[in-house]
Amino acid sequence: MIRKKHGALLITPLGLLLGGFFLAPIFMLLPTSFREYIPGSGFRPHFWTFDNYLRIFADDYYREVIWRTLELGLCVTFICLVLGYPLAYVIVRGASRWRITLTMLVVFPMLLNLVVRSFGWIALLANRGLINTMLQQLGAITTPVKLMYNMTGIMIGLVHIYLPFMVLMLVAAIRNVPRDVEAAAATLGSSRMHVFWAVTLPLSAPGILAGSILVFVLTISALVTPRMLGGPTYKVMATVIYDEYMQLLDWASGSALAFTLTIIAIGIIAFSSRLTQRWVGAA
Amino acid sequence: MTLAAMNLTDMDESRPAMGVTIMAWTVIIFLQVPVLVVVLAAFSTTSYLTIPPQGLTMAWFGKVLNDPTYLSAIRMSLILAVGSTFLSLVVGVPAAYAIHRKAVAGSDAIGAFLMAPLVMPAVVVGVALLQYYSLVGLRGNLVALLLAHVVITVPYIVRAALASLFGVDSALEEAARVLGATGIETFRLVTLPLVTPGLFAGALFSFITSLDNVPVTIFLISGSQTTLPVLIFSSVEMGIDPSVAAVSTLLIIATGLVLWIAERRTGFHRFV
Repeated sequence: MIRKKHGALLITPLGLLLGGFFLAPIFMLLPTSFREYIPGSGFRPHFWTFDNYLRIFADDYYREVIWRTLELGLCVTFICLVLGYPLAYVIVRGASRWRITLTMLVVFPMLLNLVVRSFGWIALLANRGLINTMLQQLGAITTPVKLMYNMTGIMIGLVHIYLPFMVLMLVAAIRNVPRDVEAAAATLGSSRMHVFWAVTLPLSAPGILAGSILVFVLTISALVTPRMLGGPTYKVMATVIYDEYMQLLDWASGSALAFTLTIIAIGIIAFSSRLTQRWVGAA
Repeated sequence: MTLAAMNLTDMDESRPAMGVTIMAWTVIIFLQVPVLVVVLAAFSTTSYLTIPPQGLTMAWFGKVLNDPTYLSAIRMSLILAVGSTFLSLVVGVPAAYAIHRKAVAGSDAIGAFLMAPLVMPAVVVGVALLQYYSLVGLRGNLVALLLAHVVITVPYIVRAALASLFGVDSALEEAARVLGATGIETFRLVTLPLVTPGLFAGALFSFITSLDNVPVTIFLISGSQTTLPVLIFSSVEMGIDPSVAAVSTLLIIATGLVLWIAERRTGFHRFV
């Protein structure tokens, strides 16, 4: 057993780093969200207000952006789940000689640069992109279908980015489903579909929840892909924060929106961990 | 494995149905499509990609490798990725060891807190550091940017270290102590070799997270110094140029090589 004195010594450098470069910046951002920004001259001196937060809930534009972000989160999570489950199932239960290859083909795009992947989707989805060009050559359409700078484009891009995370979480979950239970159900006369719905799926539910929370939180926080595939006008929360900081220089509104996003993300994580604990307690 | 269990594994009944397997492979193809498209675009003579390509050329690669902007961005990205992974290992592994051995009060709470930078939306960390660095005059400072990268990469190291330490049989460490090794010798000669493969996987994740990062970096860089993903990101906003595809292809090849080596050396698929 190492002594407490040594333990404190081992953990101090990391503590200082996170205190100085993570906690302190975030706490210092908090007062900014209660200031008022006057274009051209900076914060109004000695003035504190809740307006930045009130505006987020009262203003139609902000409300639309928030709903769009949450809708995007839900859709991306659902699609990742539907596409990811069969793949994870085949990785765990399929022929073992394909297991490593399939895992690597999931991990490779995950490790690949986010900007590069979004760029690949631009090449596919743009008006003069691969998909529209091919459809036009085939004569299926005459004018390009708008696949980018809207919900469709952002959704395709984000599903591609976060699907590997979902698959890996589901692989871990399905691996934990005891095969004897499935075999027992089959022996007792359940059809394959019934075994799946009644045994495999419920037993992998904790992994489904964990994967869904991960994908949802990552999706609502995403900046790069929504910016590249949504363009400068079709915005989500993260891209609005980016513009308020970098283009409008309105740090007060930007930080209020940043804290709203943080509270949504942390709230969902806290709620789901409560839910998981209750499940585990009930089991 | 018992005979009954072997039969169960080999029974056709327990294999996924044909339809499920086809769906799985379709999803695998979906995952590779944008990657293939970028590679094709990099060799294409036209600025817009067509299938079949109009002509093949290596010219875009030459352009990238002779462009000082790209070269300095690549250098900057590598400095940050190597530096932040190294620093994350230096501060993260001892901290994980202390938490694992419960050598500090409230180890579990501290362990959870160390994961906080993963939960926080990256864009929020970015704007918080932007304001902080602007106030203390560190915006555009390379060391400050490096430390920001350590903040986002260190949770991966701590997590990998904790998972690996959890897998170490403490009887081995005790045996070393009984045989007269000091605490540090035990760590260096017994614990560390046992956790190295896990740490290697964690370091790879850390390296790639740093190399990948835009939402924190973009707020902190100054005009002249930029990283490769931020450069690609802003080039795309200006309009697409095939040299973006070429530099992206170089990144694809590098990522593929790193993953292949990691799999050969440590069986990387076990750590994901």
